[in-house]
Amino acid sequence: MKRVQLEIVLGTIFVLLSAFIMIDLGVKEEDRLALSETSQRAEQIEFGAAIYEVNCTACHGSHAQGLPGVAPCLRCEELFTTRLEEVGWDGGLEDYIVSIVTKGVQVSTRPQFIGGGSPAMPTWSEKFGGPLRDDQIRAVAAFITNFESWALNPAAVPTLMAEEVDLSDPVSRGRAVFVSLEVGCNACHAISNVSTGIAQAPALDGIASRAGSRIPGLSAEEYIRESILEPLAFQVEGFDPIMPEIFADLLTPEQLEDLIAFLLSLEE
Amino acid sequence: MISTLRQRLNIPPRGEWRQRIGQAIDNRVRIITAGLSLKELRAVMRGDPPTEKPNPRYKVITTSFIMHLRPRYYMAASTRFAHTFRLGWFTTFFFLVELFTGVILMVYYVPFPDNAYESILAIESNVFFGELMRDVHRLGAEAMVIFTWLHLFRTYFTGSYKGQRTFTWLTGVLLLFITAWLSFTGYLLTWDQLGYWAITVGSSITDAGPVAGPALNIILRGAPDIGAGGLLRFYLQHVILFPLIAVLLISIHYYKVSREHSISLPASVEEGDLPKEEKKDATKRIDLIPDLLTHELFLASIGIFLTLAILYFGLFDSPLETHANPQKTPLDTKAPWYFWWLQGMLKIDPAQIFENMINPIIGPIGSIFGQTWQVELSKLLDSKFIMGLILPPALVGLLMAVPYIDRNPSRLAKNRKFAIGWGIAWIFILLALSYMGLPEYGIETPAATRIVQDLAPEEGLGPLREIPHEELLSGIYNVEDYDGNDLCPDLVYFGGTLDEVTATSWIVGDQEVLITPETAFHDEIFEGDHIIVQSFLNEENDLEANYIKQADHPEEFVTFGCPHLTEVFNQFSERLMHAEEEGDLPGMEAYLQVEDFQANMKLVIPHVKWLDEDGEVQTYKVDFFLHEDGKREH
Repeated sequence: MKRVQLEIVLGTIFVLLSAFIMIDLGVKEEDRLALSETSQRAEQIEFGAAIYEVNCTACHGSHAQGLPGVAPCLRCEELFTTRLEEVGWDGGLEDYIVSIVTKGVQVSTRPQFIGGGSPAMPTWSEKFGGPLRDDQIRAVAAFITNFESWALNPAAVPTLMAEEVDLSDPVSRGRAVFVSLEVGCNACHAISNVSTGIAQAPALDGIASRAGSRIPGLSAEEYIRESILEPLAFQVEGFDPIMPEIFADLLTPEQLEDLIAFLLSLEE
Repeated sequence: MISTLRQRLNIPPRGEWRQRIGQAIDNRVRIITAGLSLKELRAVMRGDPPTEKPNPRYKVITTSFIMHLRPRYYMAASTRFAHTFRLGWFTTFFFLVELFTGVILMVYYVPFPDNAYESILAIESNVFFGELMRDVHRLGAEAMVIFTWLHLFRTYFTGSYKGQRTFTWLTGVLLLFITAWLSFTGYLLTWDQLGYWAITVGSSITDAGPVAGPALNIILRGAPDIGAGGLLRFYLQHVILFPLIAVLLISIHYYKVSREHSISLPASVEEGDLPKEEKKDATKRIDLIPDLLTHELFLASIGIFLTLAILYFGLFDSPLETHANPQKTPLDTKAPWYFWWLQGMLKIDPAQIFENMINPIIGPIGSIFGQTWQVELSKLLDSKFIMGLILPPALVGLLMAVPYIDRNPSRLAKNRKFAIGWGIAWIFILLALSYMGLPEYGIETPAATRIVQDLAPEEGLGPLREIPHEELLSGIYNVEDYDGNDLCPDLVYFGGTLDEVTATSWIVGDQEVLITPETAFHDEIFEGDHIIVQSFLNEENDLEANYIKQADHPEEFVTFGCPHLTEVFNQFSERLMHAEEEGDLPGMEAYLQVEDFQANMKLVIPHVKWLDEDGEVQTYKVDFFLHEDGKREH
């Protein structure tokens, strides 16, 4: 066989093999596109969670549980069921969240939250003086809407750092108060094994050992009680006075005692 | 009567039909092939000699525009594979691949910061063959840079830049840098962290220049920082300016080869004392049509096949990091590999080296006279200026001047020992500089940061993403308490297609069997009607994985424990304990926290505490959100 002929034969084989690859890729392409879209959505949610953690936790809590008297819960049923109707929004929930985060809330429909409802939420889009790009805002909205399955089925939500509540034990009951959605101390304060908290609030690991030495004359128990009921009475160095003064009204006397018992159990 | 009709309608007699149709087809073929008849075409395909005189195959070269750019023949020896390795040819091939895929990608790409990254995502998830086009474009770019460099070295070592070829060498050196610049400008277009910071660091070199430096930087970037203006400028350079310049220079470079001096002959043929017969063989003509042209089509088929095969078998994947973020400098800023040598050079401070050499000598001498003598050269000479702006252009100048510096007329290796030594030395210098350009070289990262980053890097996958989602059981995993056993022996979960099943008991035959870790740990095998329980022990007799397979649906299974999480945690612990022993992390305490953050997303926090030099507690922790469908190692 002459060289020219050999090259023509081998070349034809290579072209056929290439065609085979293209056909095989083409057959699988629709599936690949779908898979790629799913994984891009997942990455968007992961990205949104990271942006939420940096920008939103100070008001809406570490797990979007909201802070009583400050900002609403973003993982609760209401947002996914009645909220759109309430404000008269015709589009989808994700678009609603994008719209709110972008332009902020100047006059709130809910005066129970920060500033009596006005001003409420700042503008977040860099178009309106905020820090976030459009794609970041969409990622946050994707992250919030991903709470839907838990919001609609609260029974499926695992307890944070799964632990059963022992009703006869005040420490265990206090722990439940600490992580409950109504009180939500865990929205801001970190305790190892209990909550992740946020950077703007002090972590409470070993608080029982420190509390007694904070204010001369106050025992550890008295200091913790004062800190919950009158948060602005004493500021830990390096932190701003951002703790809401609502717990005197929010907590029942039993809840307060349980919570103090729990915090006093946190020794170094 | 009939015959008169034929005559009147000018229809030829019956026998002539075939001949006339044949002639008509032949005419068309001659027009399309610019001179080859049907018979001739067949002879070409068979490798037979020309059928007509004068040789119609040469006619093609004078009548066809495309073919007139080509030479009529090369001499046999200059087409030897071991002489050229087809490096120039493959460079051109990949340039054409880049033009083809580039034009397709341009249809979907938006050169504006708000949309650029999203348009890349859309190409990957919403354009049929979009990812393939992007991968081929990226792979082709890398290949083009590689082949350009290899072509340069081949030309240098065979001495093919001498005599008539000096100007061709000059255009070739320019093309080397145009190729690198084309590739580099394309880096920014994805608008991800990788490209953004590579270009930011790269273009910052111009800022160090004297007088016009800052102005040049602004012209390049469009603003002090790269933004919409910078992206558009790089885009236009990438898709219009430099492709045009490249086409022009490639044309000049190739025209010189095809019309003026041809491909060089091996030095041994040109200068060596070959027997007459052998020399005659080596210099005999090899015609473009058919020999060279079929060879080129053959090479093209290999090129296309290899490119596709590399992508088909997943050996290459064009990288895409997270959206560009001017506020967040990545831990490792990495230039493209073909600029590592430059990045390596920037890590050298010649003024500092000079000071370190001279000061210990003149210092004591000065003190004899009661004076402090000290050279402070680094205050006068900015290392970025020298190593980034003076030296690289000087090296380019040196490369261009090679034919003028090397006046030795001989091309034989035995007469060019010095030149070949230089060439080899430069290969090693470039490799050494490239090694120094790696992020690992000369940049200290704190131990805790490095270990956590290796567990789950800012970009890309990393071991944490290799753990199947189900194995990330929420809890705190303490490095101190770790005993080497499976971290979650009680974990039972369903894999495969049974998403909704939550029970831990299965029906075997008529009997309900409660599946507990023990049943699997003890290596019992049920072979009931439907399921088989299997456990696998590894060489150390540790549990590797347990599966309960349904015999008729082997892809649906139940798994116990978390071997992958255990393995990753094991590595994490070992590295931390090693760092503690080395004294990098005194008093180390560390744990891995896993939390169910959303129904389908986990939050994983590696947390490291240690004592610094002053005995203060330092902590390093990073939060990683891992979605079930997120990027995973496959």
